[in-house]
Amino acid sequence: MSDPRLSEPHVLDQPWRVWATVAVLTIVLAGALLGVVIIPVVQGRAAGLDAFTAICRALGIKPGSPAQPQPSDRTPPTPVSQVTWTPEVLQVLARANTERGRAKVLEVCVACHGEQGVSVAPEFPHLNGQSGPAIYKQLHDYQSGSRVHPLMTDIAKALDEPVIADVAAYYAGQPKRNPNPATLGELPANIVQLVELGDPNRNIPPCAACHRPGVGGPIEAPILHEQGQNYLALQLKAYASGERRNDVYARMRTIASQLTPAEIDGLSRYYAAGFR
Amino acid sequence: MRNVERLCLAHLWVAFTAFTVACVLGTWQMWVRSPLGAKVGTPSLYFMSVTAHGVSMAYVLTTFFIMGFGYFVAVTALNRPLPGKPWAWLGFWMGLIGFVMAVIPIVMGQASVLYTFYPPLTGSAWFYIGLVLVVAGSWIWCVLMIVAMAEWKRENPGRPVPLVMFATVANAILWLWTTAGVATELLFQVIPAALGLVQTVDVGLSRTLFSWTLHAIVYFWLLPAYTAFYTLVPRAAGGRLYSDTMGRLTFILFLLYSLPVGIHHLLMDPEHGTGMKFIQVLLTGFVTVPTLLTIFTISASMEIAGRLRGGRGVFGWIAALPWERPMVLAAGLAFVMLGFGGFGGLINMAYGMNAMVHNTAWVTAHFHLIFGGSAVIMYFAIAYEIWPRLTGREHASLAPLRLQLWLWFVGMMVMTLPWHWLGLHGQWRRVANFNYADPIIAGWGPWVVVSFAGGLVLLASALLFVRNLFVLHRSPALALPRPLYALAVHPPHRVPAALNGFGLWNVLVAILMLLAYGWPIAQFAIAPSPAAIVHRVQ
Amino acid sequence: MTELHPEMHERRILGTELLWAFGVGVLIALTLGMIVFTALTMGINPPSNVERIDPKTLHLSGEFAEHNLGTTVGPDGSTTVRIIATQFMFVPRCIAVPRGRLVTLRLATPDVIHGILITGTNVNTMVVPGYVAQVHTEFTRDGDLLMPCHEYCGTGHSEMWATVQVMTNDQFKPGADGRVSCAQR
Repeated sequence: MSDPRLSEPHVLDQPWRVWATVAVLTIVLAGALLGVVIIPVVQGRAAGLDAFTAICRALGIKPGSPAQPQPSDRTPPTPVSQVTWTPEVLQVLARANTERGRAKVLEVCVACHGEQGVSVAPEFPHLNGQSGPAIYKQLHDYQSGSRVHPLMTDIAKALDEPVIADVAAYYAGQPKRNPNPATLGELPANIVQLVELGDPNRNIPPCAACHRPGVGGPIEAPILHEQGQNYLALQLKAYASGERRNDVYARMRTIASQLTPAEIDGLSRYYAAGFR
Repeated sequence: MRNVERLCLAHLWVAFTAFTVACVLGTWQMWVRSPLGAKVGTPSLYFMSVTAHGVSMAYVLTTFFIMGFGYFVAVTALNRPLPGKPWAWLGFWMGLIGFVMAVIPIVMGQASVLYTFYPPLTGSAWFYIGLVLVVAGSWIWCVLMIVAMAEWKRENPGRPVPLVMFATVANAILWLWTTAGVATELLFQVIPAALGLVQTVDVGLSRTLFSWTLHAIVYFWLLPAYTAFYTLVPRAAGGRLYSDTMGRLTFILFLLYSLPVGIHHLLMDPEHGTGMKFIQVLLTGFVTVPTLLTIFTISASMEIAGRLRGGRGVFGWIAALPWERPMVLAAGLAFVMLGFGGFGGLINMAYGMNAMVHNTAWVTAHFHLIFGGSAVIMYFAIAYEIWPRLTGREHASLAPLRLQLWLWFVGMMVMTLPWHWLGLHGQWRRVANFNYADPIIAGWGPWVVVSFAGGLVLLASALLFVRNLFVLHRSPALALPRPLYALAVHPPHRVPAALNGFGLWNVLVAILMLLAYGWPIAQFAIAPSPAAIVHRVQ
Repeated sequence: MTELHPEMHERRILGTELLWAFGVGVLIALTLGMIVFTALTMGINPPSNVERIDPKTLHLSGEFAEHNLGTTVGPDGSTTVRIIATQFMFVPRCIAVPRGRLVTLRLATPDVIHGILITGTNVNTMVVPGYVAQVHTEFTRDGDLLMPCHEYCGTGHSEMWATVQVMTNDQFKPGADGRVSCAQR
């Protein structure tokens, strides 16, 4: 061996620094050249796209694939509900004034839904402890005509935006009546199964997956336990016939139209008895 | 050695306790989703279990094991006490407290978001904060590993860092780089959403940040197994390491190429263009290189051992190897599983084929085989190897150790091979119960039962593993520990600074990450995804 | 190891390693080359579309309104399928597609992350809120296929799937509005 300094670590280093950097940069730049330029341009030519568009699509700056033309659509919107869950709406609900809500309830709602949200007749839903967003949505849907009811339509049209949130928040804060689920005699096994496991054969998800509080499902899904049995059965039948159609993307209509009358009856009893 | 036994054992017992509980959960899950347990349990219970299983296996078993093993290496390989031991204990307690903080909401059903926690599904804030604590505790470990190596280099100027420590520090640096992604996602997106400070999440950005972590984390898990291949297995087999240089290069290549490839987990996602996906697929091709190099180098090292023991002929050395030693047996079994799992990985990388298997049981099979199989079987072997030195006892008999390793191998193959097949046929992931009445799904039933049987064997192996370690605490005292770390055929006297430290490689990683992830992340600052409303799991 | 076998000289060792590394390089190059080749000649790409859409107002939009979902044949003969993935249902639940023609599937979700695959095909994509997921494919065999949601989206995930009916040309008849529905079975 000639010069011992030649085996010093820092002298052995120089080629490593150079070649490692060259290798890494070459690999990445080759990838970029192929992936962002060559492949999209060649694919774009086969699809009738100019090079610039193809490269923009490959980078994700423009929508579409560099290898296919992009479909277009001009359908006008026809929404089934005007309610959207934006942060602004959720703010409105979070900032609602339950005192103002209570005042409005005593003025208008108490006649059918009661001061604590316990309704006076079986065809009117209980509102105590109901989900605030659920009440909010239904009131807006009545107001916009997405949902129709001989009494509620006019009542809702007379309410303005902040009051709707106040009323929803007030009723949402009212306590449930019966914390211990009443016994149904025997819990019918097929109903419990529908609630917990759904029916994959009919594409029915478990009711609990949306309607159990805190489960992370749709924001407007109403709480069902301790709701009136008559009212629940009425709504399921209304969904099944299509008469009620303010469920976004027809989820309840699809599910309800597949339930048998016995199941509609059983589910209504189940939830009315207080099971979650 | 005297000052880290308790530290190491504490970490390892936490790791293996979480592992055992997770094995029980995993077996229950397999039963419930098979035709045998079709009406058992509810989806809520199932996904609670999947979350607990994933968090325990992916974040606790791994992190705590790697930390414990790392402290052991830092003291035994460098022959000096661990610097900053009080900090090490702090890291341990942070991790343990964090784990408990995460488990409580899981058990209460407030964090059924799985270990990948994809927002906008959001659980209790305590779950995420707990996990952040686990990661933060592990960062202390990373710093201590780097400091230990730096101090040794100062005391030993010009000498090459022992390969085992070099590998461990490479892993520590890898971990620091990769956790940046999930830490950013949790701290700036998910935890604010979970606390109710914000109502929306940019889902494209959160998936991208998580993907930053998602690939390199599996190499973080895998690297201790490779460390064992290079530094423990040749000695255990009675041979030498074929090439020390290739060992160093392997760990460097892992550091470079396991990071800028995370978007290959997003190949089917709509928020990135084909160009960026292609770049990262190309880079993924290069992360296969260190594994392939390792296969050659370790096989050659084994051949040295086999021939030294009298093996003759082209393959005669294989039979001559001391398979009765757990470390050697585990390495052989790990290599078989690595073959299958690695091949599956190549398929995942090619996006044309990825489209056939994404989010099917194939993916579940792949990572159980390669992580649960190759990596974890080496964790067992490492534990069997270092436990005597940590406790001052020796195994009364090696037979139960070998039995446990074989059971793990057989169970893993029986569990995962049918899953690969089912995945190709379209069986999808994360399902609490299948509709076995459907004609397509009915055909899958028997194979699901077969893989459940594999899971039962794995459970038996896991329990035997814990028993083997437990029993060691009451075994006869260790006579004389034999040397642990392998010597290379040509032990290096001098290595270039590039193979003795990480300055150059950190710079290159930064460049790679900038080129690979720069635009994919920047695009969210320029044109954020329309935000999605948080769905709270409470 | 006092006297070294000639095979074990340091240069020889590194030489074998380099030879193996060369072989590894060839393997990688072949694999990547195949990906590039199929990209250039067959247009094979991962599904990518980077088209942003607001999940919160999806049901107010024109393209993803309820009545516009499902299969539509455009005036130029192109077949586009629009699907909503939501907790816990695909809308529509049954999708009619033609065999042997290019079909473009467009999916969006108003809530959380979903994903789809169609059994026996190469259709596979994540459906991420904020983006329209798009897949171009051609169905080569007729019959009924399963299209499950393959990403965890909540406790109802296991029951979320749709059916895809691949129809021959004489079965696949668009109505006056260009829409095609599933055959009732």
